[in-house]
Amino acid sequence: MLTESKSVLADGTRVEDLINRETREVSMRVLHDRELYELELERLFAKTWLLLAHDSEIPKSGDFVVRAMGEDQVIVSRDRTNEVHVMLNVCPHRGMRICMGEAGNAQVHRCIYHGWAFKPNGDFIGAPIEREQMHGDVFAKSELGLRKARVAVYGGLIFATWNIEGPSFDDFLGEMKWYLDMLFCRTDGGLECVGPPQRFIVPANWKAAAEQSASDGFHTLTAHRSLMETGQFGNDEESIYANAPAMYGIDIGSPHGHSLRCIPAETTFSMFMGMSDLKNLGTEERLQLLPPPGIPKELVPQLKTHMDAKQYELLAKAPPQVGGMFPNVLIAFIYAPREDGKYGGALTLHTYVPKGPDHVEFLNWIFVEKDAPEQMKRDMVANAVRTTGTSGTIEQDDSDMWPHQSRAARGVIGRQGTFKYGAMLGQNKPADWPGGAYVYEGFTKDDTQWDWWQYYFQLMTANNK
Amino acid sequence: MTSSASAVSSEFGISTAARISLGTAVYNELLEFLHDEAALLDHQRFEDWTELLAEDLAYTAPLRQTRAGPGRYSNIIQAIGHFDDDYLSIMSRVGRLGTKSAWAEDPPSRTRRLVTNVRIWATANPDEYEVVSYLLLSRSRYEESDLQILTAERRDLIRRVKPGFKIARREIIVDQSVLGMQNLAVFL
Repeated sequence: MLTESKSVLADGTRVEDLINRETREVSMRVLHDRELYELELERLFAKTWLLLAHDSEIPKSGDFVVRAMGEDQVIVSRDRTNEVHVMLNVCPHRGMRICMGEAGNAQVHRCIYHGWAFKPNGDFIGAPIEREQMHGDVFAKSELGLRKARVAVYGGLIFATWNIEGPSFDDFLGEMKWYLDMLFCRTDGGLECVGPPQRFIVPANWKAAAEQSASDGFHTLTAHRSLMETGQFGNDEESIYANAPAMYGIDIGSPHGHSLRCIPAETTFSMFMGMSDLKNLGTEERLQLLPPPGIPKELVPQLKTHMDAKQYELLAKAPPQVGGMFPNVLIAFIYAPREDGKYGGALTLHTYVPKGPDHVEFLNWIFVEKDAPEQMKRDMVANAVRTTGTSGTIEQDDSDMWPHQSRAARGVIGRQGTFKYGAMLGQNKPADWPGGAYVYEGFTKDDTQWDWWQYYFQLMTANNK
Repeated sequence: MTSSASAVSSEFGISTAARISLGTAVYNELLEFLHDEAALLDHQRFEDWTELLAEDLAYTAPLRQTRAGPGRYSNIIQAIGHFDDDYLSIMSRVGRLGTKSAWAEDPPSRTRRLVTNVRIWATANPDEYEVVSYLLLSRSRYEESDLQILTAERRDLIRRVKPGFKIARREIIVDQSVLGMQNLAVFL
């Protein structure tokens, strides 16, 4: 069991001292330190809810995928009763890996070492040569199942945690759920994951990616400047900083580090429709003219039936489009305009899975609305591949930057530097704002990322409960 | 040129399966084409490279997935790829590389594309050839002494035009289910 003393690193530095709450700085040491990394595995990745898969990846009884919770590999499987289970992909007998592939279908998972066998729900079936009772006489069969995590399925997204008695998934989302529902629970058919995630390794600490996923809007203007230089986002080289496209809006933060950026319809209509005056357009007209990313016009009427009146109205005024979920999820439900006039939108989720202090695995899931027309689905997959993930023209720049931040933290002097979160809006929720959580209106600043670190340090310094 | 049906070719959906043998004039021309193409990319002559692309180009790189048991050889995932491009989107990628802010390749990687094991088949269209090659891409980035490596099989449909050839289809079968480089800001 961890004790309070474990919040002190070997050189005497308290974890708490790595954040300066007065000057809003975080020590760069967090991008490099092996000891801190081990503590993250225990206190974050073995404690919080983690996104692992989507329902549509394992539609049939016995379907499974293999994913990671921190450095622990798990099986995500569906049993005969349609229930989803998440369990450690490790045989309790001698520690051998059970599922050797990344995905498949099996009603029995048999360890290839000594043949111990398990059901899709993790229960132990037995060992070969039943009469010899090769599972021993120490433990009952009921005690020899795979180690099971606690599961929550939300909008088809499969989350799990090792914190069996900890906060519920709804508690974990808190007031962010109201906003996230507008992305994940908006149609009758729901979202569909088109295939397995793209997977690639970036030589960077996972937090370089994760703190950016906490709604860093500002980096877009410089890191993703090329998109504006090529005119893809409705500006040209000269006007980028002057117009600061999509910088003004409403950022939503959370005491649990989740965040979303709500981009005003005026911005998106101006960027993608060439219209800036929307005063005479009502909620329905706006949603019909420029539906939220990924929603075909024929599904617009369904939106209203899946959300309350205030969510519906916000969807037309300033829909959430990008953001993150603590600790390692990026959400990008974006407009991705195309030159050929085909459908321009992309829905993707990423997780940033830690692989030691110096590496992170980037998983990129690509989604469509299940009931969208086939051609639109096809276009959306292409859009997502062309803009996000491995070869995406937006994100290939991000993943080339994170290694440099991590590299800097390897230097004795470099790791004495800090991440600075000095530019803050402060909570300034407009009187008529319909949603909860922390609301920051204005030019996107450091607020949500600072919220992310607050929760990070809260968990990293908490007693083990 | 021999025209023996090939067990290998049928796997790639090649209709006529007429093998173009090594050392024939057509084989030599196509081999030179692949070598020239690799040189253009390795020398960052991206706009010249696009001259080699047909306007009906399909440029894809399906995901790979580790599978065990009965379905273990079905490990190419067509639903999602690392590239899912056509002529316009490749032109757009190349256009972006020419901007002042395409950071993923500025400074540029030093790359080397080793193209080997070239096998060629004729198709029902006398101007088009199925060309399968192996690719070893090495990528040297910044001051890192370790080379980033990617290996793949390329399944091309190459069309004879006047003069020369154009790539009408390229399917890149990468070998890693988890890629070992931070992005694919390079063409394969």
